[in-house]
Amino acid sequence: MTHALDVGERIAERDQAAVARAAKATTSARVSRFGTFAITFGIAFAILYTVFERLNWPLFTYHPAVGKLDFWMQRARSGEGPPMYWYGWLALSFPAAALMGWIATLLSERWLHRATIFCCALAAFWPACFAAGSYIADQASFDADILKSVWITGIPALVGAAAAGYFVSIPWAQRVWTSWLLIMPIGGLAILGYSLKQYFLR
Amino acid sequence: MDIVFEIVSVRTFWRILLFLHFLMAVGLLAAVTLQAVAVMVPARQAAGKFAQILRPGPAASYATAVALLYVPTFLLGAWVYIKYRTYVRIPMEQVGQWWTVGSFEFKEHIVSMGMGLLPAYWYFWRQSMSEEHATIRKWLTVFLAFTVWYAFAVGHVANDFRGVGS
Repeated sequence: MTHALDVGERIAERDQAAVARAAKATTSARVSRFGTFAITFGIAFAILYTVFERLNWPLFTYHPAVGKLDFWMQRARSGEGPPMYWYGWLALSFPAAALMGWIATLLSERWLHRATIFCCALAAFWPACFAAGSYIADQASFDADILKSVWITGIPALVGAAAAGYFVSIPWAQRVWTSWLLIMPIGGLAILGYSLKQYFLR
Repeated sequence: MDIVFEIVSVRTFWRILLFLHFLMAVGLLAAVTLQAVAVMVPARQAAGKFAQILRPGPAASYATAVALLYVPTFLLGAWVYIKYRTYVRIPMEQVGQWWTVGSFEFKEHIVSMGMGLLPAYWYFWRQSMSEEHATIRKWLTVFLAFTVWYAFAVGHVANDFRGVGS
């Protein structure tokens, strides 16, 4: 009788676990195509905007004093007033993030989470590697200026991000997916804010 | 534009735009602040009489207003920004108000991040009954409220330097 009750309890526990698993599956499936687009758009926009601003890659440059538009980045020209790049960064970030969002709706859930981890890890590792490279180059007694290159420091970042994308478990990636919506903009703002230190330390 | 400038002077035109931007910003500030308070002080939470009186309506009811006000406020701000770059920032640099210049530079980044999050914010509030997204919905709202408050405060300081009524 006791044995029968034990078995019964174990079956009940297994049933509960199955129900919980099913509920979890339904939960993740509940994010609609628009939801996938919107979440990916938010994450991608924060990363791309930060990258375009830091590399100064505007789609166009606007010269407000003379009302002139130039394709890509143009330095200030004599007699034409200050150039504005912000519109150009936005004009590049919005469609690029929308494209990423659209691609995300085409991917399977598994690949979507792997790709998100890869991109977010790359966004975190790249500035970290660049900062470390710059620090080493400044401290080294030999010529290590190559470590100050954005592109060279991108290589270890790329390898690290690929490893993160490959080894991170899908359930964990699924759990933290929406958290990137806050982590990436806050991280981006920290980088952008730091880049403005020249104004605050004068 | 020439037709407009026949009716009002260039200076008045930009001041009207700036004032409209301010009015929309006040509406947005009210909506997003009430929503942020509503998500931080949920209805079921026991609160004192004073907190009960101050507690705003259902948080979901503000989402449409926030989304509808954020976009035109952002766009109008982006338009007025042209005048800021030539008419306000240059004298600001000349008198060495670097903190104001830097804070305004950061404003352009923070409002852009807010714009990027707006579709997700809208999506999560459309599903306001789902408990599974309650945490991200709450923090997205708080983040947006912070962006709007920051932009409002910094915009106000820049306006005091050279703007409407300065």
